[in-house]
Amino acid sequence: MNIDTLRFPHFESPPEVDALRQEVRAFLAEELTTVKPVMRSNTWDGVDPAFSRKLGARGWLGMTLPKTYGGHERSMLERYVVVEETLAAGAPVGYHWIADRQSGPMVVRLGTEAQKHKIVPAIARGEACFAIGMSEPDSGSDLASVKSRAEKVPEGWRLNGTKLWTTGAHRANYMIALFRTDSSPDAKHRGLSQFLIDMNEVSGITPRPIRDLTGRRHFNEVSFVDALLPADALLGKEGDGWKQVTAELAYERSGPERYLSCFVLLTELVKILKGGNANAEILAKLGKEIAWATSLRNMSLSVAGMLSAGQDPSLQASVVKDLGCHFEQRLPGLAQELVELEPTLAGTGVDYQQVLGNLMQLAPSFSLRGGTLEILRGIIARGLGVR
Amino acid sequence: MNDTQKMLEDSVTRLFSDLITREALTRIEETTWDVPLWQAITDLGLPQVLISEAREGMGGSWVDAFLVARACGRHAVPAPVPEQMLAGFLCDQASLLLPAGIAGVLPAPVPVAALKGDNASFSAARVPWGRHADFFVGLTEAGHLVMLSNTGVTVREEANLAREPRDHLTFEATPLIGHAAGGLPADSVRWLGALLRSAQISGAAAACLELSVKYTSERVQFGRALSQFQAIQHHLAEIAGEMASVDTMAMVACRAFDARGINGTDRNARFDIAVAKCRASEAVEPITRLSHQVHGAIGFTYEYDLQFLTRRLWSWRAEFGAQGEWGKYLGGVAMDQGGDQLWPYMTA
Repeated sequence: MNIDTLRFPHFESPPEVDALRQEVRAFLAEELTTVKPVMRSNTWDGVDPAFSRKLGARGWLGMTLPKTYGGHERSMLERYVVVEETLAAGAPVGYHWIADRQSGPMVVRLGTEAQKHKIVPAIARGEACFAIGMSEPDSGSDLASVKSRAEKVPEGWRLNGTKLWTTGAHRANYMIALFRTDSSPDAKHRGLSQFLIDMNEVSGITPRPIRDLTGRRHFNEVSFVDALLPADALLGKEGDGWKQVTAELAYERSGPERYLSCFVLLTELVKILKGGNANAEILAKLGKEIAWATSLRNMSLSVAGMLSAGQDPSLQASVVKDLGCHFEQRLPGLAQELVELEPTLAGTGVDYQQVLGNLMQLAPSFSLRGGTLEILRGIIARGLGVR
Repeated sequence: MNDTQKMLEDSVTRLFSDLITREALTRIEETTWDVPLWQAITDLGLPQVLISEAREGMGGSWVDAFLVARACGRHAVPAPVPEQMLAGFLCDQASLLLPAGIAGVLPAPVPVAALKGDNASFSAARVPWGRHADFFVGLTEAGHLVMLSNTGVTVREEANLAREPRDHLTFEATPLIGHAAGGLPADSVRWLGALLRSAQISGAAAACLELSVKYTSERVQFGRALSQFQAIQHHLAEIAGEMASVDTMAMVACRAFDARGINGTDRNARFDIAVAKCRASEAVEPITRLSHQVHGAIGFTYEYDLQFLTRRLWSWRAEFGAQGEWGKYLGGVAMDQGGDQLWPYMTA
């Protein structure tokens, strides 16, 4: 094991990044004046297509993608600033979230020219909503065991099977999904391929929303019954699905969303403590979490710098997500300890209580989505050379 | 890290790898001082790292000092290298030359009332390696640098858990050998001491992780290496995460100090230093607990290296303020800024 592989290198942020930050902050301050804290605490589950279009109009979506396809060719650090500012403010980024984060870069890297010209500009405008078809009823963390099948037919591909926990599938225009194109027993990993599915043009696909424990419907079970895809719906190469999906997950695990889901709660906690009499013990506990937030922020910034510099930050990104989800999950419990107010449902109680109530319920998902805590720790262990 | 910094870190690491053996650590823990070790440290110029080139120093930054202090932590170096660098910095900031010899750094501000003409009378608690100092350096409550000789000093020997000297000193009409106004706030030693200890904690944490990975990869139980067990892998991953968090913040805080200092009331490096020491001190608990856990009984013995690191970590956690003190500072910052300004302040 070489300890240097675990370090988070420093990257100087160029002056244009600071200017951009101020611009984004001013825009958000104006856009979000009427959005209540409890709504803000939904962060990347909050959906507002009009807001996404406004971000797109500002040039703040598809920022790193090529101009040829409607992107803006800005740096990863500039995109990072937009993402962290929108998340810290609790802006409703859910409509464009997946498209901007991973699907856009995937299509640019692997799509056909026609797909790139059609889809990437829509992503940059904030008009494309993407879903990710990975998990299945019998395949969660063990993603390589997916059974949903894609068969080659004269018209293209025929899809059968079920995808599960598919966030936003009921509103998505597109889905990038992992299917088995080779079922022979020795083809576990190389039998997988990814498909780019136009949800509005393909029949035989039925999303069934699943209520989560808060009562809301944001994820789905999606059934595919003889869904016919054109031949060019294959994304990348047949049999490369595993390799591609692993690269895709790196996008999912590298962003600041892995510690900022609860930032609105930290903001509201400070507000309510400021209004009361916070003693030294309370201040110390609050301060320790501010220290965590700040250290995670610096680590996350380093990951963005590594991406910008063309380095592979997958180990560092897993460390941030592991520490970040602990931080996010700890915060509601700590807040409850510091302020003796009951968590409430939206609409009753003060803002702080509503935010607490919302995030307390959402918190269990933080260490599940985008790879469970246990999977991430396995990746870190591999980085340490013990797996 | 630039090439010069890489060279500095490499040469320091080489020196410590050669000299700081288990036998040396055991021996120096008894004698508390090793002349050849200190000679090698001064030969490498480490006391000069934070002294400007104009005063014949290395002209290094706090990032350079971070690399040296982290290496000291990683090798459990039983000598006051970080303190000596700090003494050089304090003198340099007051435009004074650091005298030859071993400097003792006074952790707390010297009361203004203690100074009477050309001498000083007061007592100082927990002075690192105080008994070995040829002279002492500190800041007064007014922020002036004072340099004191070591005559008229009564030493009551004390030590931290790692047997590093932390002496109680009584100065009785001790001659003042230097006195100058400087550009640093009066509480600088506490803040910069906290910064250096954060770097040392990062280094010792890295060494705990390295030992834990090595030991669990070699030790076989139930027919396989301990590191093959998922429960053990998760312990190792947790140590790694805590170490990385501490390391990142200590480095960030050193950069922040280079760029912004700790003068004035604007958003300066105080915030980053408080975050660094708060995190470093808090991380000591999981890092030491899990490192010992994966080592089993062998890690609890004196013959095995882990204890040289963990005993230091337990002491360094408290020195220059534990997580409670720094957390309280950060909580206070949040109260001053208010909820809506917290994020802008953090990211400023």
